[in-house]
Amino acid sequence: MNPIDIRVAPHEPWYKYGVAVLLFEIAVAIAVSGYSLYVTFNGLGGFPGEH
Amino acid sequence: MRGHKVEQLGIATVGFFWCFLMWFSTATFSPSIAATYHLTIKDLGLLASSAIWMTPAGRIFAGWASDRFGAPRTFAAILAGCGLVSIASAFTTSYELLFAERVLVAIAGVSFVVGVQHVAQWFDAHEIGTAEGLYAGTGNVGAGVGALFLPRMFGTDYRSAFLWLGMIALVIAACYLWRGSSAKTMERRDAVRRGGDLRGMVFVWTRYIAIALMLAYAMSFGLEIALNAWLPGYFARGFHNEILALGFNGVAGIQIAAGTFAAVASFNASLFRPFAGFMSDLFQRRGWTPLPFIAKELSYAPRLHWLAIALILIMLSMIGLTVAGLYGFLPWSIAVLVVLGIFVSFGTGGTFALVPLLFPDRPGIAAGFIGGISTVGGIAYPLIFASSANAHVGYLYVSLYMFAPFIMFYFWAARYERNPQEHGLLGRALAGLSSAPKPS
Repeated sequence: MNPIDIRVAPHEPWYKYGVAVLLFEIAVAIAVSGYSLYVTFNGLGGFPGEH
Repeated sequence: MRGHKVEQLGIATVGFFWCFLMWFSTATFSPSIAATYHLTIKDLGLLASSAIWMTPAGRIFAGWASDRFGAPRTFAAILAGCGLVSIASAFTTSYELLFAERVLVAIAGVSFVVGVQHVAQWFDAHEIGTAEGLYAGTGNVGAGVGALFLPRMFGTDYRSAFLWLGMIALVIAACYLWRGSSAKTMERRDAVRRGGDLRGMVFVWTRYIAIALMLAYAMSFGLEIALNAWLPGYFARGFHNEILALGFNGVAGIQIAAGTFAAVASFNASLFRPFAGFMSDLFQRRGWTPLPFIAKELSYAPRLHWLAIALILIMLSMIGLTVAGLYGFLPWSIAVLVVLGIFVSFGTGGTFALVPLLFPDRPGIAAGFIGGISTVGGIAYPLIFASSANAHVGYLYVSLYMFAPFIMFYFWAARYERNPQEHGLLGRALAGLSSAPKPS
């Protein structure tokens, strides 16, 4: 590891794309969580369209 | 050295994603295999558990091999070996032989530590958390993607699935060898190769901070794989009446509901992992060290604090799962499970944002030890959950009798303000190393 001072080291260009990917993954996780909570509160049996 | 670090991150992530697909493909097709060979429930349980038999020992060996021979060769060997056995399993007609072949294919799961080592060899300290998080989090999604898409693509034809998975693994192995490069610089590669011997392994295994990180990973990833196996049965048993009241009917309906709820923890634990690495980088950049006892002067001290916060949150949310279960209010349980999955990702992402920084000359050995032994948690926790008289209190027992001591040990091991990796069960000389420690 390079002993650079992280507090002043600028982010490299790839970093913003990395953050974009992680934000997309978070959005997918929130969608799955939201669907599960929706099911528990609304009492729909099965996946949408199968009830 | 050839290549660009983003390309190396991409190669490692694709390789790990495919290994995860192969690792859990047996479980995905277990109903079809059961129907073909007329398996009993007991046989199915054995087939499901066989997926992690090889992981603890295999990861230790793979971590050492990646330090010694380089990540591209080691990863390509795993992909090619597992791919060839997967192809062979597509043509097998005996169940005993198929079982043995699928145990061998499950070795693909050890590739995690090889990719960790590969990424650590290319990314610098200020971005290692996000890089390792993107690698591990995106790769882990392979398990969910496999469960979702493989049955839709191949139906009950597991033989074709195993054939295609194996053939594509061979292609990825060839690409890994072609484009993969061991480290950013020759100096870094040579330093790691020199450290990758038996004495280096004894040194890492006996460090208090390595043991603390192993326990931290057992609290996070060990818990994640334990919950994957345990939660569907827990919801089906612990919330049977509540699920029926939601309109889910019969065994199949309860399985769908329980599986949907259980997937919350798995998805969050995988998909929030890159964010956890990003937060570790952010703590480091801002210099946040809010907790008492833990070192504040080390160059990576903020990352130690971020991981400690994650471990405390995991323990508290496990207690919350017991409380929600005892109240019998299903939406509370799911809500707690959502945050538990996120906190688990904080633990997994936080741990591997630290490992390459603590053991820069032995990242593979350290990743193998921490990522390998900790998977025993995947076997141990469900046994404790199942032995509890009440289905809901198992989480409380694990929190109080295992996680609380793990956290206290972590605080104790992370208190050194200089070179925490120098403190261990054996002295440096007894561990076979005589060189002076590097300042940290």
